[in-house]
Amino acid sequence: MNAPSGERIACIECDLLVRVGELRGGQRAGCPRCGNLLTAPAADGFTRTLAFALAACFLLVLANSFPFLALKAKGLEQVMTLPRTAMQLYSDGYATLAVLVLGPIVGIPALMLATLMALILPIRRRVPAPWLVPAGRFLFLLSPWSMVEVFVIGVLVSLVKIGAMATVVLGISFWAYVGFAVCFTASLSSLDRLQMWREIEVCAS
Amino acid sequence: MSGFPAGTAAAQGLACCHMCLKVAPEELDRCPRCRARLHLREPNSLQRTLALVATASLLYIPANVLPIMTTEQLGRAMDSTIIGGVVVLIHHGDYPIAAVIFIASVLVPLSKLFALSWLCWSVSRGQPSSHHERSRLYRAAELVGKWSMTDVFVVSILVALINLGGLLVITPGAAALAFGGVVVVTMLAAHAFDPRLIWDQLGESDD
Repeated sequence: MNAPSGERIACIECDLLVRVGELRGGQRAGCPRCGNLLTAPAADGFTRTLAFALAACFLLVLANSFPFLALKAKGLEQVMTLPRTAMQLYSDGYATLAVLVLGPIVGIPALMLATLMALILPIRRRVPAPWLVPAGRFLFLLSPWSMVEVFVIGVLVSLVKIGAMATVVLGISFWAYVGFAVCFTASLSSLDRLQMWREIEVCAS
Repeated sequence: MSGFPAGTAAAQGLACCHMCLKVAPEELDRCPRCRARLHLREPNSLQRTLALVATASLLYIPANVLPIMTTEQLGRAMDSTIIGGVVVLIHHGDYPIAAVIFIASVLVPLSKLFALSWLCWSVSRGQPSSHHERSRLYRAAELVGKWSMTDVFVVSILVALINLGGLLVITPGAAALAFGGVVVVTMLAAHAFDPRLIWDQLGESDD
């Protein structure tokens, strides 16, 4: 599970070489010079990541299948779903904007969840799989571009803005998306980058 | 031999893989664990960061001058810019939301551009200011970047939701795309900056 004690790692932010002994679950190693978190492996980290990722998958499907918000004004009603938002922007000629919005809030998180599953399932069973290394790189390449928590704030801001013009009703999908944002964030924060790569190395060799 | 401070991986010719954090000799060229390219330091980090900061600064002008969305109510079209949106929210008394938009769309991108420029300048000049402070500044700049997307998301939601025929229609303006560009480019700029450069000038006198 853990690295051979005394393995040298370098701080990615200040390049100080540090010897980190064997960490027990829940212990954290910080850089003695710049304070950057080096590694914080959890004993059941992969299980926790997998559990939250499964929940996030389920909630993301829900969030895409039901009304997200509904608008009522002057006797008219309009319902918005997440996929339809993208279609609307696309068909109105704002294709770039559609990608810029739906990518960070649905597309990239969905790809990340699929990649996470493809990594953790073989790693937990110690089965070598040929895709482990490229999948690991893909996952960490995508991770800065997921913006699920920003979108939740965006929705709350738009509620206030629309509130002045019309009545807004929150749909099932809105709540599903909030749950998804929580599970998705929890899943990734239980994942330690160094621990992940060490396990990939063990499985791939 | 190398000019890197003692105690660092680079001083021993070791590169820390930016992808999987493995420490490996730089001569290998590719990381033995994840096959990513190995570098002692991000190549041309300052030049790339500054180029991206310049791009983002240029994009920031149309993002603020052009309308971010157009509201068409009963045949009357009204353009609103980012700042205009904040002013309207203040008039309505929605101070917390006005603050969120102001911080996310004005304060965060501007301070991020200034912070990155200053970091590049201070590193290239070998400024003796605190390494810890600059390190914290970099971390903050990297952390807050994506929150600027808030306004782009808000506009997209309004566009998708509010389309009541001739009564009330909202369409996105050119600034929405420009501002999305600002966010993406500043994120790339923060990513291009190598924070290890801050610590490379660590003298014996410091800390």
